[in-house]
Amino acid sequence: MPIKIRVDHPDRCMGCYNCVFACSRELYGVISKRFSAIQVHDSKTSNTFLIRVCVGCTDPDCANACPYEALKPRPEGGVELVNPDKCKKCEDRPCIPACPVNALPWDPINKKPIICTECGECAKYCPHEVIFYGEVIEATPSPI
Amino acid sequence: MEKVLFIDLTERKVWSEEKGELFKKFLGGSGVAINLLHELCPEKEDPFSPENPIIFAVGPLLGVYPSCTKTIAMFKSPLTGNLGESHAGGRFGTALRCAGYGAVVIKGVSAEPVYLDIYDNDKVLFKRAASFLGLPPRRIIDYLKREDVLGLESVIATGLASEKFVAFAGVIVDKHFYFGRLGLGTIFGAKNLKAIRITSDGKIPIKNVDEYKILYDEIYEKIVKTDAMAKYHNLGTPQNVHSLNEIRGLPTRNFLSGYFEEAETISGEYFADNILLRKMPCSHCPIGCKHVALVKEQFAAQHELEVLELPYDYEPIYSLGSNLGVSDTVGVLKLISTCDLYGLDAMITGNLLAWVTEAFMRNLVTEKETLGLKPKWGYYETYIKMIENIVKMPNSFYASLAMGKVPVKEGESFYMTIGGNGVAGYHTGLAQVLGTAIGARHSHVSNAGYSLDQKYLGKELPPEEIVDTLITEEQKRCILESCGVCLFARRVYDLELISKALNPLGWNYSADELREIGKEIYRLKFKFKFREGFQFETLHIPERFFETPSANGLISKKKFFKALNYAAKRIKELAEIPVVEKK
Ligand code: SF4
Ligand code: SF4
Ligand code: SF4
Repeated sequence: MPIKIRVDHPDRCMGCYNCVFACSRELYGVISKRFSAIQVHDSKTSNTFLIRVCVGCTDPDCANACPYEALKPRPEGGVELVNPDKCKKCEDRPCIPACPVNALPWDPINKKPIICTECGECAKYCPHEVIFYGEVIEATPSPI
Repeated sequence: MEKVLFIDLTERKVWSEEKGELFKKFLGGSGVAINLLHELCPEKEDPFSPENPIIFAVGPLLGVYPSCTKTIAMFKSPLTGNLGESHAGGRFGTALRCAGYGAVVIKGVSAEPVYLDIYDNDKVLFKRAASFLGLPPRRIIDYLKREDVLGLESVIATGLASEKFVAFAGVIVDKHFYFGRLGLGTIFGAKNLKAIRITSDGKIPIKNVDEYKILYDEIYEKIVKTDAMAKYHNLGTPQNVHSLNEIRGLPTRNFLSGYFEEAETISGEYFADNILLRKMPCSHCPIGCKHVALVKEQFAAQHELEVLELPYDYEPIYSLGSNLGVSDTVGVLKLISTCDLYGLDAMITGNLLAWVTEAFMRNLVTEKETLGLKPKWGYYETYIKMIENIVKMPNSFYASLAMGKVPVKEGESFYMTIGGNGVAGYHTGLAQVLGTAIGARHSHVSNAGYSLDQKYLGKELPPEEIVDTLITEEQKRCILESCGVCLFARRVYDLELISKALNPLGWNYSADELREIGKEIYRLKFKFKFREGFQFETLHIPERFFETPSANGLISKKKFFKALNYAAKRIKELAEIPVVEKK
């Protein structure tokens, strides 16, 4: 069974960005909200949060949207940037809006999508166990 | 991080300067801010003058390690007339750091109400804020926050108290955090500045990532898995209510007692068990010490509910709860949120209301002055109306309170402020009163006298030893403030660890070198105070401190003044002699 992350308890989130910075640390070796594959958004009127991160689809819309086949679906769900040369750094970047959960941010400096590698760092540093990392039976998020 | 962003509100000009040497010598935070204050604030300047700068500064550990979150604000205080220094967490500091700013200096005065919209690369927009006048700061924050922004965004805002120049107006940060003390909000008002939004798409670089990750894990473990910060995570600061009450150190009814017999319903345990909704952290802190309560009130028949999310902390629970004899759980929360509604420092607001109540009971103040309000311990509805009057100033009585001054001379002996600042919620003993008196910003966290009192409960320390310990502690804290460490994490971050943590970021200082820098920052703070006319000799110390038994029994006035004189002499000497620079 595939090892993946899954946002199991979004309502436990307190918006500390520990996961966000764990991700930017892992992917880029920096602290940044902009350069992270996981995004935590405040809700305006209540103290709750919306977490956007790759849900690991088995038939990923982002990969389908790329005309150059730069994004390859992974057998365990989600995608990888198979061959960075294949990514044409295109101006209209169809992969970004194709993701229905809006979980694919664009890296404006290296001109490529910021893709979750399922490394589990975000889950490891979440103090409230919002994110699960381990064997998941299917790539659907929890009902909430 | 060595870039200082300058914003001139009068000329609407923006520029930045690299100040590598300054950051190298003073790290950041309060160290950098105090240097800029010396340089930019003209001597004996009126705090309301456009020349009084607002300085925000961040430190090298901020945003990089867990619980390093604090931005330091410096300005000349309208409340004390000397050093204005206030610290806040939230996301403000991390956003400044991602944008590459080590400090932001705001000068001048805007011709019309304005808010600043700050981005990376020195991009600053001056935006009209007339529509925000009179609105609660939290609502302004909601209006300015954008959903789904990818960069790191932080919003800070002021309320009506700032527009009315109440001397102790604060600034609310990201809804749950505060630059509460010493009137930063007042200076915002004097500059016609309503709010600041900062949004950064940038990143904080790490020099040696591998080394950093190893150390990060060590620190993270200490913070989440040991009991070093458990108190803040579990009940939050309100844990103090019961623990102080037990030792008879919980200021009650304007410090007439150190014991509140109705403390149960305003205790951290009670809040947590009954109405805690959730905890809110600063960015990159796993603790989340800010506690938010959920209150549902029916406002009309047929189950029409108003759902309120109200934050609480120990200090306002003391100042607006036990110190006003208020034990109604929701009543205390409403008083806190009334202060937030106008953007007031809840601590000194409570000190003022407690004074009015006692003065009213002693007939020093009558209904003529209070405009028909009859303050009485425990009656929070009256206090809510009084807070409104303090902000709106319908007569000279309330206008005086709004300046942080009590209008009746005979009443000064029980007006619980020191050096102009409202005192914190600890009647623990001599070290606490002394610590507040000799702290550079007259705050309990300057040097933690309360903690010394509790550590040596029932034991008498020689006055000189207390003074020396307090000074050393304050000098050490100058380093934490300069690096961006939250003081709640002080048990984790000692100078040795700070020295280690700076290393992977490319800053090499031994713990001893840091200690020396701390001494120099401390010296500069006092140098500024003395420059602005601060005198130990004329410091207001309320008699009440010596009349009500503290957790350590009655505080001896003789011993106190002996200690104060010794401290005054030592600090004056310290302020004169520059610490030898090692770097
Ligand atoms: S699993 Fe790794 S790459 Fe994916 S969001 Fe979490 S930290 Fe980022
Ligand atoms: S680390 Fe956990 S609690 Fe913090 S923002 Fe991420 S999901 Fe939320
Ligand atoms: S302990 Fe509290 S104030 Fe300190 S960094 Fe954490 S959330 Fe912020």
